Parts: sequence; C-alpha cells; structure tokens
Amino acid sequence: MLAKALRKWPYLIIAALLALLILAPFDWFLGQYRTLMIFIGLSTMVTVGLCLLLGYTGQVSLGQAAFYGLGAYFSAVLSKNYYINPWLAMLIAAMATVTFAYVIGYPIFRLRGNYLAMATLGIGIIMWILFRQLSQFTGGPDGMTGIPFLSIGGFAFESSFRRYFLVWGFCLAVLLISQNIVNSRTGRALRAIHGSEAAAESIGINVAQFKVKIFVLSAVFASLAGSLFVHHLRFVSPQPFDFFASVKLVVMAVIGGLASVWGAIFGAGATRILSDELLLRFGEWDVVIYGAILMLVMIFMPEGLFVKLKDIVGQVRSRFERRGAES
Amino acid sequence: MNEPILVTRNLGKSFGGIVALDEVDLSIETGKITAIIGPNGAGKTTLFNLITGVYPVSTGEIHFQGKLLGRIPAHKRAHFCIARTFQHIHLFGNMTVLENVMTGQHPRSSYGFLEAALRLLPKARREEEAISLKAMRYLNMVGLGMHASQNALSLPLGQQKLLAIARALATEPQLLLLDEPGAGLNRLEKRELSDLIHRIRELGISVILVEHDMPLVMGLAEWVIVLDSGQKIAEGTAAQVQKDQRVISAYLGEEEVE
Amino acid sequence: MSADQFIQYLVDGLSKGSIYGLVGLGFTIIYAVTRIINFAQGEFVMLAGMLSFLLAITHGLPLPLAAIISILAAAATGGIMYLLAIRTARRASVVSLIIITIGAAIFIRGIAGEQLGKDAIRPPYFTGKEPITFLDANIHPQDLWIIGNTIAVTILIHLFLSRTMIGKALTASAVNPRAESLMGINIKAMALFAFIFAATIGGIGGVVMAPRTMMAYNMGVLVGLKGFIAASIGGFSSPVAAVIGGMILGIVESLAVGVDWGPFTSSYKDVIAISVLLLILLIRSGKLAEEERTG
Repeated sequence: MLAKALRKWPYLIIAALLALLILAPFDWFLGQYRTLMIFIGLSTMVTVGLCLLLGYTGQVSLGQAAFYGLGAYFSAVLSKNYYINPWLAMLIAAMATVTFAYVIGYPIFRLRGNYLAMATLGIGIIMWILFRQLSQFTGGPDGMTGIPFLSIGGFAFESSFRRYFLVWGFCLAVLLISQNIVNSRTGRALRAIHGSEAAAESIGINVAQFKVKIFVLSAVFASLAGSLFVHHLRFVSPQPFDFFASVKLVVMAVIGGLASVWGAIFGAGATRILSDELLLRFGEWDVVIYGAILMLVMIFMPEGLFVKLKDIVGQVRSRFERRGAES
Repeated sequence: MNEPILVTRNLGKSFGGIVALDEVDLSIETGKITAIIGPNGAGKTTLFNLITGVYPVSTGEIHFQGKLLGRIPAHKRAHFCIARTFQHIHLFGNMTVLENVMTGQHPRSSYGFLEAALRLLPKARREEEAISLKAMRYLNMVGLGMHASQNALSLPLGQQKLLAIARALATEPQLLLLDEPGAGLNRLEKRELSDLIHRIRELGISVILVEHDMPLVMGLAEWVIVLDSGQKIAEGTAAQVQKDQRVISAYLGEEEVE
Repeated sequence: MSADQFIQYLVDGLSKGSIYGLVGLGFTIIYAVTRIINFAQGEFVMLAGMLSFLLAITHGLPLPLAAIISILAAAATGGIMYLLAIRTARRASVVSLIIITIGAAIFIRGIAGEQLGKDAIRPPYFTGKEPITFLDANIHPQDLWIIGNTIAVTILIHLFLSRTMIGKALTASAVNPRAESLMGINIKAMALFAFIFAATIGGIGGVVMAPRTMMAYNMGVLVGLKGFIAASIGGFSSPVAAVIGGMILGIVESLAVGVDWGPFTSSYKDVIAISVLLLILLIRSGKLAEEERTG
C-alpha cells in the first residue's frame, strides 16, 4: 500500500504544488503572504538562470544581480521618463541585456574559475556604481518612484493578486524552458562543459560559444525578472542589485541544488522566507546564516541541499519498495 | 592504393623553447590500425593534441583527407570526422552512461537553444529520437548496454575506457585516435579491447593508437611508427620495428634511466 | 596640476595603495601555497579595523594594545577559517572553494555587522592630525604611518621568506606542492600558516588604515577586490610585486580623482580600478587559462 503510494508520489506532489500555487494568493488561504510569494517568484527566475550557468555549466557569476538591475532600470526609466509602453520597455530591457551580456561575455569567458569569478564580481560592482551615479537617469541612491503598472488592454496589473499570477506565469515559463534545455542536446553540451572542457571540445562542442550563450540566457531571465520587479513595486533603487544581492542569488542556487531546475523555487523560497519573514525581527543574522549555509553545503554536499534531500527521499523510497516487494 | 587519411609534413611543436615534436613526416593509411610507440616524453600525446587542434602547430602542416587542417579550432575537428579518447579518460561525471554517448552525437545533430527551449518543435524531437537510438547502438557495440542509466563514474576503470571509446565513436569519425587505451586494464579486458578495435576497423574507421603495451600493439597494429625525443626514428610492420637497432637502443636507454 | 598638488595626490595614492598592497600580499601567499583565491581576504582588514575602534574607544584600552589584540583576532579568524571551512572541504572543486570562501566572507561580515555595529567608525589617529608640510604639500601624519608600516612589513616579510627555514619552506611548497610533500614538509601545516599569515597582514593593514579611511562592516568586499587587483598587477608572482601593484593602483586611483572628468564625478574611481583589473585579466587570459589547466 505504502509502496504503491510512494511510487506515485512525484505526480501527487506536482499536482499538490500546482494547486497550492494557484490557491495560495486567495485571502482565505495564504493571502497575507502574497507579496512574499511574488518576490519568491522573481527570485526564482533569476536563480534558475544562475543554476543553468553555475550548476549545469560550472561557470561562476558573482554579478548576476547586475542583470536583474539592468532589466529593472531599463524598464523603470523607459516607462516612466520616456512614457514607453511598459511591455515594449520590458522587451527593450531584455534586448539591451542580451547585447550587454554578449559584449562582455565573449572576453570574460576566456577566463576560468577564480579569475572568471573576480571578473563577474567586478562587473557587478561597476553596474551597481553606475545605477547610483547616473542619477540624471536613475534617481541616484534614492531611486525613483511612480513607475506605471503593466496592463493588457484595459486590464491593469494594479492589484498584488493580479501581479501574483503575472509573475508566476512568467516564472513557470522560465522554469519550463530551462527544464527543456537541460534535457536536450544543448543541455548535454552544457553539462559536458562542466564535466570536462577538453572532452567537450573533442566531441565537437564549441565550449566558448555555449558558455556565452548560457550566460546570455541567464542574463535575460534576470532582466525579465527585474522588469517585473519594478512594475510590481513601482519603485527602484540600487540597493537590491549590490554585491550582496549577487551573493544571495548564489545562496539560493546552492540551497536549490545548483544542477536542478525545480530546486530553484525551493532555494529562492527558503532564502526569501528566512530573510523577509523569520529573521526580520532579529536584525541581520540572516547574513551570518547565509554564510554558514554556503560553507556547510559546499563542504558536505557540493551537489546542493535540494538535490541531496531528493537523493535521501529516493533512497528511503527504494528501501520501502524493496520491503514491499519482499512481503 | 588508397589515399592516406592523414599526412603531416615537417610537423613541429615547441613549448617555450622546449621542442616536443621536431619535423615529423607521417602518412597514415586509410582504414588501417596504426600504432605510435616510443618511450615517455617522445611526443606521442603532443602529436594527438596537434591533430585534434588542442594546440596550434609551431611548424609544418597536417592534412586530413587531403584538406589542410591549419588553424581549424579543436571543436570543429570532430565535425571533420576526427575523434579521440584521452589518457585520463575525461568522462562526463555529471551524466549517465547513455548521456555520455548521446553527447558524442553532438556534431551529427544540429538543433540549438531555441528548439531545445520549445521542445514541441518536431525537429528537436526527431533528432532527439535519432540521437538516443544511435547512442544505444554504440553503447551495445562496446558492451555497456545494460549499464545505460548508471552514472558514468560508477563504472569500473575498464568499462570507463570502453565508454570513452563509445562516446568518441558516437561522433561518427573516420579517424579515431586512442590515447593509451590499454593502460590499467587486466588481461581479459585487454582482449576485449583488442576485439573492439578490430570491430571498429571493420566499420571502415582508421585507428591510430598510442600504447605502451607491446603485446597489444603487436596483435593489433598493421603499421607501427616509433617516436623518440620528438622525432620519428623508425616505422614499419610490428615485426620490422622490433628488429630495428635504433628502436631497441631508444627503449634500452629508457630502461637505464628508470 | 601643480607640484604640491601632485605630491599630495601621490602620497594619498601611496597611502591607499599600501592597504591594497597588503591585502594583495595576503592573496598572493595563500594562492601560492594552496591555489585558492580567498574571497574573504578583505574581511580580515575590516574585522581588525572595526575591533581596534571598539577596544580603544568603547572599552578604553590603550591604542597600541587595542591594535595588537585586533590583529591577533584577525589572525585567529584566518586560522579558524582554514581549519573549519577549507581543510574539511577535501577535494573540493575550484567553484566549490570560491563559494566556500565567499560564505566565510559574508559570515564574518554578518557577525561584524551585528556585534560591532553598522555605523562607519574611525579609531583615533596614531599621532594626531596636524599636517606635515613638505614642499608646500600638506601631508596627513596617518598617511606616513600607513606608508611606513607597509614598507616595513614588506621588508620583514621578504626577509622572512628568503632567510628563515619556515619562510623558505613556505615558498618552496608554493613552487611545487607535490615535491614538497615528498620531502616531508607538511603541506597542510603550510596552508594553515599561509591563512594565518595572510590574515595577520590584512589585520595590520586594517588597524593602520581605519583611522584614515574610516571603516564599516560592509567594506570588506571592495577592499578585497582592490587587493586582488593589486595581486593581479603583481602577477601573483611575489609578495613584493603585490605591494608594488597596490601602490600603482593607489596612485592611478588618486590621480584619477585629481583629473577633471567633466560630467563624470570622482566617484568613478572604483570603476577605473575594476576596469584595470578586467584589462589585466583579459590581456593575461591565455596564460591564466594555461595555468589553471596545469595548476
């Protein structure tokens, strides 16, 4: 009986999670956490990109928040100061991010490991300084307010209830796209690069090009999330895009399991709940906890927390199944 | 007689003043098994790395099927039908056995990011079916079919080496370079390897192997080339080479050092 | 730019560059012995600087004592970090080690933020703030402390590495770790020593620098990054090269502030410094890739 139920559990869990996702924003259920869940959705989008880059392809980016910021600021500035349709602004933001990521991607992916990490860290900090300093566009350190909502025809995403579905719609699309890529010719090429660059080259994989392409894709995910972010909050300032924000994304990816697409929700969720809800009253101990998590997870389970948990569940399951078969 | 599959002229490589390979002229026959032997540091692996484009050549040129390889980057050489294995195996440890071989199909398929992202497109689905079918065929050819869903690194060393060959075969090469395929294998595994290399030859694939194990070389190679200190010192059939005075002294010299 | 202005900028640059150089020196030593880039390197500077303020001002300890305790605390942090986070991560990949040292960095930063406070602080000057006039330029006495300290530390370290047994062992294990383990030198002890050594030097830098530049819990990253730039300019080749690299970076930054940038403000000095790094990395990318492959 139990064994049978356990065998079906992946479908049951997926169905349950989907139901939870759809029902959560209603006031009679988890309505008071709507904003938190919107932020989890946004963080998930950025984290998935980082998982593709870091977890699957093995390439570090310590400046991922810069692309999040690029999307946010392009959308904010274009839609507020230049009255461009927010959807068009979002598209322009994404295209600008693509261009930027391509231009910096080709040179910096000639670097590996430590040097790549430092270069991305440096670029992230440069972008953050620009967000602060180009105050005639960005409003400087104080940021800017009054950014319009997104709308389709007359239907404006002006309530957080509506924006919840908007954000999670985007988020699920990003997750599905990532899932498809991982289990494809492209995904295998990316994982091959992580496994052995020499072997990947020897079987015809253009290592440099694939690295840049996945970097660009991860940047686009972050940019889209950034655009949604400013149209949700209607406010933007440099603070959510600083170095620490980039580290926080790494924390989310690490908790999510690095080489795991759906783990990103788990990583983003756990991190957001930890810092936005649980520890808010105790000062910034979340920073200390993040540091501890990064060290502990990478030392004891380099494949990531979520993947490890999944493995443990799998082992328990097969033990149950064996017992079921014997009896 | 067939045109040779690979010709090198004056091929040389030096690393910061140290000459690893010095004006080597080779001609590798199509459809045959050629062995390259020589003491440690003779330049055998360097030769492989030049043929596969890991390093640019310092002097001379390499012609593959009459085409000059020149500065064609490493990853394009698989598309030119040159494949290799590595001394240190280099499997993809983050994949299953089958996925390793499927990855080898990379140059024989073409769908990219967009088709992958939108799985519904028929091109991606068609290619993906063909890839897994062919991969399974190569896996069966090396006798690892029943291990398809295991993690690649969970295999014992001997089977890892076979898997690496299957991955290289999956690129559908015309020239296969094997870097010390017999190292670390027991006698039974060596016999299996030997059989496999014969079967690969029967597919019409030319094979070059670098190998230290003399009985293995003697049983396989139709032509043997001997390198020492970056230079070609002899070539011929296995029997001819064994009698060559320079070859004997090169190997004796090594034994004295060791 | 007049001569006295130039001297002013030069001294200012050397002063800033001193800290970058000391941090870069720490990077170089740890990298040489362990092939690890320690992303927490800047946190040792921050920690010692913040602590010296806490001990001297809040707890009223004499400044020299406060300084020594702070430096020892940084040294201990370095050692503990190695023992708990680095040594336990056996056979970790480069990527894992990057993430582990970043984890250590924000761990230290988080604790400093909570325990030592969030405000920028400034410990007392060593010998007041009465400027010393030199060729019409007004030089802050703390700048002389910083520069003099860095030169002294660099010379001592150079002598230590080239003259003493343990110093020679340290540089030898850097050249060829495998051969050294054969020769019976304990690589793990060397690695521990390298972390403590680098943390101590960072701590010294932090204590001397804090009165001049102020210090806050979140400054570690940027200080660390600048130190890495210094080490990169020095090519990660030798401690002295890293210090010289830091001085060069400091002067470039300082002169960049002095130049009239028109519509841009001097706050772009960090952008300039990071651009220098990117430029160096890209120029050397071929060689660095080769090094990672063999190293």
